[in-house]
Amino acid sequence: MDIGTIQAYAYFFFTALLVVVLYAYIYHLYSSQWKGKRDYEKYGNIALHDEITDKPVEEISKNDEINKKEP
Amino acid sequence: MFHWLEKHPFFFAVAVFVVISFAGLIEILPNFAQASQPVVGTKPYSTLELAGRHVYIKNSCNACHSQLVRPFKSETDRYGHYSLSGEYAYDRPFLWGSKRTGPDLMRVGNYRTTDWHENHMKDPAAVVPGSIMPAYRWLFKNTADIDTAYAEQVTVNKVFAVPYNAEIPMADGSKSTVKLAATLEEAHADALEEAKAIAADMKDQDVKDAVAAGQIPEIVALIAYMNSLK
Amino acid sequence: MDNRPLEYDYTVAKMFMLTTVVLGIVGMLVGVILAWEMAFPAVNTMLGEGLAEYTNFSRLRPLHTDAVIFGFTLSGIWATWYYVGQRVLKVSMAESKFLMFLGKLHFWLYMLVVVAVVGSLLMGITTSKEYAEFEWPIDIAVVVVWVLWGMGLFGLIGIRREKSLYISIWYYIATFLGIAMLYLFNNMAIPTYFASGGIGDWYHSVSMYAGTNDALVQWWYGHNAVAFGFTVPIVAMIYYFLPKESGQAVYSYKLSLLAFWGLMFVYLWAGGHHLIYSTVPDWMQTMGSVFSVVLILPSWGSAINMLLTMKGEWQQVAASPLIKFMILASTFYMFSTLEGPIQAIKSVNALAHFTDWIVGHVHDGVLGWVAFMIMAALFHMAPRVFKREIYSKSLMNTQFWVQTLGVVLYFTSMWIAGITQGMMWRAHDEFGNLAYSFIDTVSVLHPYFTIRAVGGTLYLVGMFLFAYNMYKTMTSSRRVEESELQNASPMGA
Repeated sequence: MDIGTIQAYAYFFFTALLVVVLYAYIYHLYSSQWKGKRDYEKYGNIALHDEITDKPVEEISKNDEINKKEP
Repeated sequence: MFHWLEKHPFFFAVAVFVVISFAGLIEILPNFAQASQPVVGTKPYSTLELAGRHVYIKNSCNACHSQLVRPFKSETDRYGHYSLSGEYAYDRPFLWGSKRTGPDLMRVGNYRTTDWHENHMKDPAAVVPGSIMPAYRWLFKNTADIDTAYAEQVTVNKVFAVPYNAEIPMADGSKSTVKLAATLEEAHADALEEAKAIAADMKDQDVKDAVAAGQIPEIVALIAYMNSLK
Repeated sequence: MDNRPLEYDYTVAKMFMLTTVVLGIVGMLVGVILAWEMAFPAVNTMLGEGLAEYTNFSRLRPLHTDAVIFGFTLSGIWATWYYVGQRVLKVSMAESKFLMFLGKLHFWLYMLVVVAVVGSLLMGITTSKEYAEFEWPIDIAVVVVWVLWGMGLFGLIGIRREKSLYISIWYYIATFLGIAMLYLFNNMAIPTYFASGGIGDWYHSVSMYAGTNDALVQWWYGHNAVAFGFTVPIVAMIYYFLPKESGQAVYSYKLSLLAFWGLMFVYLWAGGHHLIYSTVPDWMQTMGSVFSVVLILPSWGSAINMLLTMKGEWQQVAASPLIKFMILASTFYMFSTLEGPIQAIKSVNALAHFTDWIVGHVHDGVLGWVAFMIMAALFHMAPRVFKREIYSKSLMNTQFWVQTLGVVLYFTSMWIAGITQGMMWRAHDEFGNLAYSFIDTVSVLHPYFTIRAVGGTLYLVGMFLFAYNMYKTMTSSRRVEESELQNASPMGA
């Protein structure tokens, strides 16, 4: 198999994969809203209520794993 | 899974990186495996030509002049045979340009002469009435940097195995060799020989005097480079 | 320590705001000089024959592009980052001495690089690769500056109070990663001084790639420097500043997330459209062409999202010059993301490539979209940073119309110039000979070059109005209370 063929297969495989992932993401965004798990639109308020004294839209809780220092 | 990603900045960054590097991985990297093969007749640059190429770059000639003939009749009529990938095998960097404020220069050596360039660089509008190209009179005074050109020759020969001092097949079946001087002094002497041949075709007395005194003005190097573009 | 309540600390943002204005004026001034040089070549020697080497078109041209991209735009990106970043993460720079130090170091090292770039480009020290003209010592300094920003960026994210990252932060992260990857790969070079054992100029280098490969890497970089310098971070700005200034949340947050991933995936493929009909492999040219057209979708996804954010609130556009700037910016974004793909279609590209139409496209993108958005962002930030109202609303309105007229003159003249020249290059007479000599196709452009120069000059005049307005806002405007800073920015008459 020459390099061109490998390129073609790799291209096709990755593009197909990424398209699937993108559609899965769309499904995820809307299904979380229907199921009431999470409404993504609330994150739009992060920009509107951005004073340091405002309450965060989603607070980092003290014992949340995320509180460990990010790299 | 998606929501998890959105809350973990590090893994989010990794995901973004994977998505954006994808095109490069598929498109660019495999091509390096098959580095440009020179076509028959493509020679590396001599020291003086390379010094001229540096003058070309120093003055951003590539901001207004392309070096890429596209495969259309109107372009081949005007500039000559369309460009082949292998013709650029020794061009580091490539000088295709992105704008043709002036004409393409890919094969300018085929139809312009030393004295034409001399007159044109001094006063473009006098040679081509209506030209908007600025005059490049300082090229007649500045001295070309042969040292750096030689350093670049040594570098590409050592690192990229550019074939200096080796037989190169030419289009007419003959062989040709481009010399890489063994020492800097020798490189200067060779460049000066080449420069003398060009200065002989020029009219500017200051340039002739400079070359006779062992100096190489930038214009001489630039013309050597332009004449090599075929 | 005293018991003052915690506040956002805009020290670094202020520094970058200053350089945005100064380098914007420098970059555009050089651009205007170039425009007049093309219309009237005598301008090349305006400072006399002796200095012609430093004032002629070819020496100044890289300075113009780099001053606008890496001076004005990058300063604008960082000014907004050091403002927006704190706010949407709800954490102050004042809370971390380390991050504050990093931010200041970032700024001063950046200043050092700017000085080095201006000096070296004027001296003619360049690698010739567009938007990557710097030689290796400057490249290394650029990488250090970039790493400092990255540490600051992820550091601030690390101590945030808001759990989810706002969409703008996504775009800033993508800017950081994208430019880092592209810049490193494209600038790979070998310093000849060291490889040859100490001969010649110490700063000279030779590209790792030759010919066609070099072109491929360069335009993979060149195109995507546009993507991650002129698109991604500017989108980050509009996603924050338009909702905040208008008091309307983003129309569809979900759409903004989708558009983000779409843009990330598609943009990198489009670089090939700079090399259509060149000697790079044909399938890459086609890929560049196809993906450029696909790119319309995510670009318009963001732009339409912005316009819909104003749904039912259009009276604000009439009332506020600040919103006008942003709405015009997103309109120009739609316009130039439609124009670009059209130019990437192979048959159109055959005509448009190498002509002034491309120059026109770049400028309606940068003047209409990038610069308008950055100026709007700075206008919005000024009252919050200086605690004073914007000095003059009428001056803002004047600036808006002067600059809009400038952009319109610019791109219309360049369209006509580009298409005229492209058509004349390919014209044949009845015997199959070329109908025009090259100089015919240059002389015919004189009126368009002149109109373009006038358009550019108008835009520069607008920049001076902008600088004056910002200066007065900073020094002598009315002081404002915190309560006036909720949404619409306070403006004096």
